[in-house]
Order: sequence, then structure tokens, then C-alpha cells
Amino acid sequence: MSFADRLLRRADLHSLAAPYALDALEPAERLRFEKHLKTCDSCAAEVRALSEDAVRLAWLTAAPPPAAMRDRVLAAVRTTPQESAGWESARARAPQLPPHVWGAQPPPRTRAPRTRPLLVPFATATAAAALVVASLFAVQADKTQDQLDAQQAQASEIANVLAAPDARAAAGEDAQGRTIGVVASASEGRAVVTLSGYGELPSGRVHQLWLMRPDVQPRSLGLFDADTPLVASGLDKSATSLAVTVEPDGGSPQPTSQPVVQLALKSVGFGE
Amino acid sequence: MEADELLVLVAGGDQKAFEELYGLVSGPVYGLVRRVVRDPAQSEEVAQEVLLELWRSAAKFDPGRGSALSWVLTLAHRRAVDRVRSARAAGERERREALRANHPAFDHVTEEVEAGLEREWVRRCLDRLTALQRQSVTLAYYDGYTYREVAERLSLPLGTVKTRMRDGLTQLRKCLGGVA
Repeated sequence: MSFADRLLRRADLHSLAAPYALDALEPAERLRFEKHLKTCDSCAAEVRALSEDAVRLAWLTAAPPPAAMRDRVLAAVRTTPQESAGWESARARAPQLPPHVWGAQPPPRTRAPRTRPLLVPFATATAAAALVVASLFAVQADKTQDQLDAQQAQASEIANVLAAPDARAAAGEDAQGRTIGVVASASEGRAVVTLSGYGELPSGRVHQLWLMRPDVQPRSLGLFDADTPLVASGLDKSATSLAVTVEPDGGSPQPTSQPVVQLALKSVGFGE
Repeated sequence: MEADELLVLVAGGDQKAFEELYGLVSGPVYGLVRRVVRDPAQSEEVAQEVLLELWRSAAKFDPGRGSALSWVLTLAHRRAVDRVRSARAAGERERREALRANHPAFDHVTEEVEAGLEREWVRRCLDRLTALQRQSVTLAYYDGYTYREVAERLSLPLGTVKTRMRDGLTQLRKCLGGVA
């Protein structure tokens, strides 16, 4: 490529700054321009300014959202882990965020093909379900391929629960601000449970989930693996609450300690 | 509290701060998504994804690079545009025809929204753009068309549309001046 050609090509790329700020590029062009942005400081500054201008157009469109949306979003937030600002987790989100939102150095987009297709089948799930599915992607960032494969298998199982027409979300918080979140379907007797804020247990200890029913011994629903959501099945309608205890590795047949957290299931359709 | 401060608290896992932030940004986010996506159910879905992403990715917000509201709305717009384009690509021809019938886009906006000081300013400034600047900008931003589609619809060369978009945005900036 001659120097003149390179200049022309550069000028051509520069002219894409305004369409880029308006999100008016086709995907291939968007990629090409984003690649160019990494090497062009003046373009990055210009795109930032033009994007600020474009955002002003949004002042015209504000509209009150449906009231129910608030409950769904807030419930989902209680069951959704957050990402750190670290580079590794930024990688997983890269395909959805323009680089000027990220900063000067957009992370590579290698994980995109793995995470995107998963979203597709969930598009028709109930709104609450779709929201909680997002928590799955949040924890995928730092996983190896094998872990991702295992997680994908688990994800489709979880998707079944979330897609049930009667899937509902609930969450509880203890005095220290640690939370337990659940999305459950009473008709399918299944639930997806997430713990957050409980941190690492000492080695040899594990969080075990119990189903509590009136006049019956607690039944084990499984062991938590760090921040991965736990899928529990066989929940009968008489279930009144979920409880979590700290148990020795491998779990116990019956709880050996007081629950660290307990969550009533009435609001998600159980307790009949 | 301002959105910027709240977002910093949200990044630290503060759910109360998120509730407050929701109060500030959910209207702008939903309204923008609704304007671009149009379909109410899909708009709600996209808006929810954006708001949840706000919770998840709050730590990525860098106050040195712009306001929190800009950050949120940039994200919301990208998501809305992606959704409306994939819906179009999936062959929603009827819908596309309906959008064509709504041309020009700006008139539609005028009908939908209520008065407000900031809105009034933006609207006035949009009115001061040339017709081609205004149409180039609004067809892209409010209707999610690529600049190629905009060029096709306005029967203009690609280069002209790119220039009109840039001029339109910079004129808007000058007209709005210190209003932020």
C-alpha cells in the first residue's frame, strides 16, 4: 500500500467517527473502526466528544418504564454477582460494549462466540428468568474451556427452570448484607439458588442447601460450588423455606449447625 | 445523590444505591430503548438487560471519561440498535415498511414526548439543523439505521451522509452549549 493510499484509507476511517458515535456502522465496519481506534488517540477523543453529543438526543426520549420492571430488575440484582473491573472479566463483556466506554484499550473479543449463542434460546423466557440467566454469564469470565463446557451443560438445565411459565424470583439478605437468591418454579418443583457475599470457606468446609418442610426432617438439596448457582429439583409444594448451613466437605445427611441464612418460599409459589 | 456517585457505590455492591440509581436512569434508558426498538415487550426486555448490566459492570465505569448517564445511555443505545437490527435481519419486513411509513423520524419523536426544559432545548437545536443534517442524525439514532441505509433512504452519497452526521452532531453541541 502506498503512502497516499494509507492516507486515504485513514481519512476514510476518520470519516466513520460520527456514524460510529450514532451506532450507525455495520458490524464489520464497526470492528474495523474499533481496531483503528486503538491506534488513534485523536480519533478516540473525537469519538468520545461525538458520543456525548449523540447522548443528548436521548434527552428527548425519556419515558416512564412499566412499574413491574422495577421489581424484576431489583430481584434479579439480588441474585446476580458483579464483575470486577479486572481485565479478565472485562474480556467476557467486550462484544457488547463500545471501546470508548471501556477506555483506550478495548479488551480482545475471543470469548464472544461462546457466550452469545447461549442467550438466544432464553429470549422468549419470562422476563424474570431472562434476567437471572445473565448471572450465569457474569461468572463465566475467568473459567477454562472445560469449566465453560460443564457450565454450559448446567446452563441449559438452569434455563429449563427459568423458562417455566410460573418461574418467580425471591431473595433474602442477612445482617451482614450477604444474600441468597432463588428463582423457582412450583409447577416443575425446581429452583436455581445463588449465594453471594459469603466468601471463601475454610478448607474442608462447604455450604449445603436444605429444603425445610413442616413436621419433616430437612432434606439436602446439594452443595454449593463457590459462586456457581445451584440447581435443586424435587421441591414439593409443601416446602416452606430454604436454608444454608456450613458442613464438613462432602456434606452431611442432616444439618450439623445453625443455618447461616434461610429464605421463605411462599413468595415464589410454595408453602401450600 | 448524583448518578455518578451512586454508580461508584453500586460498584461496591450497594443494592440500596442501585435502587436509587434505578430511579434516576430507568426512565431515560427505557424511553430510549422504546424509541429505537418500538415493540413494548422487546423494549422492556432490552431495558432490563441494560439495567442489570449496569449492576454487573458498574466497576467498569470511569468517571474521568464522561458522566454516568452518558455511559448508561451509550450502552442502552448500542443494545437497542443491535436488537432492532437483528429483528430486521430476521425478516420482519412488515415492521420495516411500517418504519418507512413513519418517515421522517423526528416528527414522530415530537408527538410522543412531553415538554421538559432539556427536551425543549434539544428539540429547538434539532430544529436549527438543516433538514439533511437532522434526518441523517435522527434516522440513525432514533431508528437504528446504518449510515448506508440512511444514504439509501435519503438518496444521498455515502460521503455526504457521513458529513451530515458529523455536522449535525457538532451543530447540536454548539447550540446546546453549556446545557448538560
